[in-house]
Amino acid sequence: MFSPVILGQVLINGISLSAIYILVSLGFTLLFGIMRVVNFAHGSLAMLGGYALFFLYTQYHVPYAIAVPLAALVVATLSLVLERMVYRWFYQKMFQSMIGLIGLDMALYSTAAIIWGPNERSIPSPVSGIYHLGPLFLSSSKLVIIFTAAATLLAFFAFTHLTRQGLAMRAAAQDVETAELQGIHTDRIYILAFFIAIFMAALAGGLYAQNYTLSPFMGERPLMMAFVAVILGGMGSIPGVALGGIILGMTESFVGTYFGSTTSTFVTFGAVILILIVRPWGLLGTPEAS
Amino acid sequence: MAVVEEFAPPAPTAADPASALRMKAVLGALLALCFLVLPLLRPGEFILSLATTLLITAIATTSLHLIVRLGSVSLAHGAFMGLGSYAAVLSAMKLGLPFPLALIVSFLVPAALGLAVGPVLLRLSGKYFVLVTFLMGEIIRLIFVSWQSLTGGSNGIFGIPYPYKAFASHTVFYYFTFVLAALCIGLVARVLQSEIGRTMDAIREDSRLAQCSGIPVLRTKVAIFTLSCGLVGISGALFAYFVRYIDPTSFSITQSLNFVVMNVVGGMYQLAGPIVGTVFFVILPEFLRGYVDFQRIIFGICLVVVMAALPGGIVGLIARLRLLSNKVMGENP
Repeated sequence: MFSPVILGQVLINGISLSAIYILVSLGFTLLFGIMRVVNFAHGSLAMLGGYALFFLYTQYHVPYAIAVPLAALVVATLSLVLERMVYRWFYQKMFQSMIGLIGLDMALYSTAAIIWGPNERSIPSPVSGIYHLGPLFLSSSKLVIIFTAAATLLAFFAFTHLTRQGLAMRAAAQDVETAELQGIHTDRIYILAFFIAIFMAALAGGLYAQNYTLSPFMGERPLMMAFVAVILGGMGSIPGVALGGIILGMTESFVGTYFGSTTSTFVTFGAVILILIVRPWGLLGTPEAS
Repeated sequence: MAVVEEFAPPAPTAADPASALRMKAVLGALLALCFLVLPLLRPGEFILSLATTLLITAIATTSLHLIVRLGSVSLAHGAFMGLGSYAAVLSAMKLGLPFPLALIVSFLVPAALGLAVGPVLLRLSGKYFVLVTFLMGEIIRLIFVSWQSLTGGSNGIFGIPYPYKAFASHTVFYYFTFVLAALCIGLVARVLQSEIGRTMDAIREDSRLAQCSGIPVLRTKVAIFTLSCGLVGISGALFAYFVRYIDPTSFSITQSLNFVVMNVVGGMYQLAGPIVGTVFFVILPEFLRGYVDFQRIIFGICLVVVMAALPGGIVGLIARLRLLSNKVMGENP
């Protein structure tokens, strides 16, 4: 049961799950860290990313390598309308944003259910086939996911650490008022951060939909996982999200494979509740001055 | 604490608290009277079951209101309602308890869980409390789904027998629900009107200041949370005996969210809020029958608009309009 081959397989699955979770929760934590918005609509925006990929890739036959980033780009661009109409009301208002965005979430998935129907669809994988790496079987669709997520995360890291805009964004994430005092246009940073966050969520949604299934209600699980990853790592902390996502993806893969998915949900949620009680600010977060 | 300042309610509008209280009591009595005479008008089964649903939901939303008044929002309330449902039905069907005892069990089981987890959960500040209750609700629902030998898993429990033959009559069950709802909501109103109610307001406004003033903050919070969980359990038991079928989907996060929506859209700062919200959201869907698919979109948009522009909800809007008309009339409010 614990043979190295299976363990290796579980490890690969864990990495691809972690990659998706990190993408979703990175955007979530960005919105929280900079705008103090608890984005309950994150899962629905990921779902829109899934549909965008579905239409671009399966209906309009855009080549896969273009369709994936293009789908996320389309969703992120269109969501700027939502930023203007909805999110802007809730910046720096944590409590209101939480409840209001639950409403946005409901409105989004219900609209999707009306337009595209409630039934599940699937996005075919662009590559099929399995590579042998020693005793390991690497399914190429998993590799695509890992590669895409890794590339995005690298790009995000490069952007935040090598450009002036990225620096400004990190400054705003640390302390909005002080950043403003330094001459940073926080309203521009808000839009930029929003765009990046939704881009990553939509990208993850596409990958998730391709790996599992596409439906208007598929956003719930990524949203929940984003919560959990973000709480684990510490709300607003970017390295924390990476850690949280990895712990979560690996736990789900290991416990899910050996003990079933219900047990894995119990274990992860239970662990998160415990962590919250002992260390509410998460593993890598900092306690709030209250 | 950041949550508190965002949560600041509008200043009380009534100059004379005694007359405001009398006004509220009169309004409440009028509402109760409407419900009391409703069956005499021979409204037909549809209206009657709609009114029964309304009363059952009102128990749940007013019980959630207790937590909201403490400055938190629980997303596990649907799950606690389910706990009450399953506790009542299982204790009646498997243990053979008589119905009144089963009702008491439906209060005690969720209240006991609330008492057990309360001291830990209520230490958490705003957002963490919301997230943990969200996860806890999901865990409870998963237990309903996976404990198949006891709960019937996803199939649920069907064919719940009438505890008394008389309950087969819609009117009788309606009056039974009415009495329980009046008791539960009356209890909530009494709590809010008492010393404890003012203590709760103090805790919501500034829990540290309250602590310094000698209020046992955590103990009050836990007591209120426990009471709230128990009351929602009763609404769960009523729901089970009304529909005579329960399954885990009735107690998912969607249900918890419905209660939150009703509280928020109705108004978070007064007991009238959840009642208005319940009436609004139980009756509104019936007018939108042809547009069932659009219901949740409308719910969602309502939530966004209320949170963005009307933090006091419908009740707050009415109060504001009254204040405005007073000003226009030249009266000194």
